[in-house]
Amino acid sequence: MSTTTRRLLLAAPAALGLGLLARPARAADPDSATAFVDAMLRELLAIANGNQPQAAKRAALARVVETRVNLDAVARFCLGRFWRTATPQQQADYTQLFRRWLIRSVSDKVGEYQGVTYTMGRATRREGDISVSTVVNRPGNAPNRVEWVVDAEGPPMVIDVIAEGTSLRLTQRSDYASFLSRNGNNVQALIDALRQQAAAAG
Amino acid sequence: MRLALRTCLPAMLLLLGALAGCATPPDPADPDAVEDYKAANDPLEPTNRVIYEVNDGLDAVILRPLALAYRNVVPPPAQQGVRNVLDNLASPVVLANDMMQGKPKRAGDTFMRLVINSTLGMGGLLDPATGMGWPRHDADFGMTLAVWGAGEGPYLFLPVFGPSNPRDALGRGVDMAMDPFAWIGKGGTVEALGYARTGANAVDTRARFLGDLDRMRAQALDPYATLRSLYRQNRQSTIDGVIADERGVSRAPRPASIRP
Repeated sequence: MSTTTRRLLLAAPAALGLGLLARPARAADPDSATAFVDAMLRELLAIANGNQPQAAKRAALARVVETRVNLDAVARFCLGRFWRTATPQQQADYTQLFRRWLIRSVSDKVGEYQGVTYTMGRATRREGDISVSTVVNRPGNAPNRVEWVVDAEGPPMVIDVIAEGTSLRLTQRSDYASFLSRNGNNVQALIDALRQQAAAAG
Repeated sequence: MRLALRTCLPAMLLLLGALAGCATPPDPADPDAVEDYKAANDPLEPTNRVIYEVNDGLDAVILRPLALAYRNVVPPPAQQGVRNVLDNLASPVVLANDMMQGKPKRAGDTFMRLVINSTLGMGGLLDPATGMGWPRHDADFGMTLAVWGAGEGPYLFLPVFGPSNPRDALGRGVDMAMDPFAWIGKGGTVEALGYARTGANAVDTRARFLGDLDRMRAQALDPYATLRSLYRQNRQSTIDGVIADERGVSRAPRPASIRP
């Protein structure tokens, strides 16, 4: 064994230890991720079942999404490899449109959250995140398995929702990827389409 | 005749798909494009898209209006009754698949459901079994093949049936052939009941997805690709769930290797 190899072998555990120390103190662990998701769902349902007018409820839901979901990270994930080829201006435009779309698609469904109950399940650590499973019961519907994926490396925020095994961000990414491949991999075409969609939604 | 036609249809469609156009493979020099092509796993995409469009058009003028009317006109308790009856009629096939998948607890659930709901549940109209601790689950031969280790193969969009793949399309045919109700009895009434069941199944299933599909169509930039992704993910997660369900599976120690 050469000296270099030996030195490397000795250095590896030290580096690992330092790496652990260097991790942000606030990073989520399974317990804190579970508490985070529980608090978020409580917040959402308190708004949905409250007595405010619909518009106020929608605005309150939008605020919850903005503070609890890492919208920028989700936006970047959904663009996949095209994030790298986009210009800074395109990245900014796209992120803004994506944020609007996601916030809107959650807050528009406010009526559907009424009377919803949930039970918390297990939290499992995966590669860079923690998946917190829940069962969501909507009146008149079969119970749904919903997993909330919380970032375990960056700020503890939701980065994906997996409903009955379908991941929101994976589905969205494949939608964008297919659109882009049919539009000459042109990110501007995607931005224009998203803008049109936002305008149509009012 | 009805059975033969219903059983052979997926197989014929499979053949049709295989004969029709293929997607242009990507430029092998562009690794990203190759990666996308592999991820889509949809070499028959041009044909699939045509079938998707036709299905979508038919859905807009026939199935969706029927499902809308059904949801808005039929009182919810009656809809639940219809769903219960359809589920109960499907349970012999579910039971057979549970057993072939080697899942005793799931097979037990289905068996108890069939017995309890057919009797206490007045021929399947009610579902007392769920409340008694035997909840419903799905099982089909496509899942059984997956549990046995078969891969899904390329994506297929089947006329009428929608998203599929060779494994699940074959499974559908096998499930139809396995269905005891396709074999019992003869004559006009039996045949009419069979069609009524198929029709009710279609409308009931479509009614359950009304909101989700409308929303998906409105929001997706490419609904075809979004549906493809949703189908695959949902299917894979269901199959993973079945494989991970080891309740009741005996964990007998492996026999020591036998020496000659």
